[in-house]
Amino acid sequence: MPFTDPYPAKSGNTPPRPGVLTIDVRKAARVARMGESPDTQARELATEARDRVRFEEEALQLADQVYRVARRLVHSKEEAEDLVQETYARAFRSWRSYTPGTNLRAWMLRILTNLNIDRGRRQQRAPDTTHLEESDYFLYNRLEDDSADDEERLLQRLSQNDIVDALAAVPHDFRDVIVLVDIGDFSYQEAAQILDIPVGTVMSRLHRGRRILKRHLAEATVGGE
Amino acid sequence: MSATFDPCAWCEEVLQPYLDRHLTERERAEAQTHLDECGYCAKRYRFEENLRQFVQQAASEEMDPELKERLSSLRTPLL
Repeated sequence: MPFTDPYPAKSGNTPPRPGVLTIDVRKAARVARMGESPDTQARELATEARDRVRFEEEALQLADQVYRVARRLVHSKEEAEDLVQETYARAFRSWRSYTPGTNLRAWMLRILTNLNIDRGRRQQRAPDTTHLEESDYFLYNRLEDDSADDEERLLQRLSQNDIVDALAAVPHDFRDVIVLVDIGDFSYQEAAQILDIPVGTVMSRLHRGRRILKRHLAEATVGGE
Repeated sequence: MSATFDPCAWCEEVLQPYLDRHLTERERAEAQTHLDECGYCAKRYRFEENLRQFVQQAASEEMDPELKERLSSLRTPLL
């Protein structure tokens, strides 16, 4: 499936696109709505305007989902809002490079994660996380010790803030994958496309990341008492 | 496979791919068979599944309606 990002990570400002005609959108809209001067060029303009409107509508319908992922990729609400707004501005500018019928949600998220990377976040080296991964049973055992058999109640010992903080404490390489797959409901394959990493890397990061997350959650159940 | 196959250890190994729906049909069926007869593993699976749902719900924040309006205003004006 074609999956092209018009503005890959580390690109500077919007480059001029050679060979692309500047479209008179207003005229195109008049043609589309009122059937004005239906010569060939006008018809093309009308089609273009219609496609553009459709693209923008479809993209806006995904806004809630895009925001939910963005909110957990960055630390503050303000950052998330800026990131989403910038993503939509860029998507609307480069809508022609989206192939209709392909995965628009993944296309939007790819723009978003690249913008996030452009902000220089990746300069940091990933911290050593081996001490966080000791056991997959850690959280289970800790919660299990306390109340015998009601898992539902066990999880109530964790607040929403505990979860948010624990997720934020996961190093970003791992967090990105968890957020896309476990919060955004993206498949391994989609996450691989969005982050431009192999599927195997998605799986191993997911595996390690979930362990790290559980370790932080286990610590939160102690600290919260 | 070693001479002493430990079904619980195997079940634990495929727990995450099971919940991710990334097992083959045959592996899934094998896991299911074990889960039907092993209370310990069934509880482990329930716990991890609940935890995932809990994390997803807790980590999902809705956007301000005001931001949605700002995004709408980024659309190309038609007339």
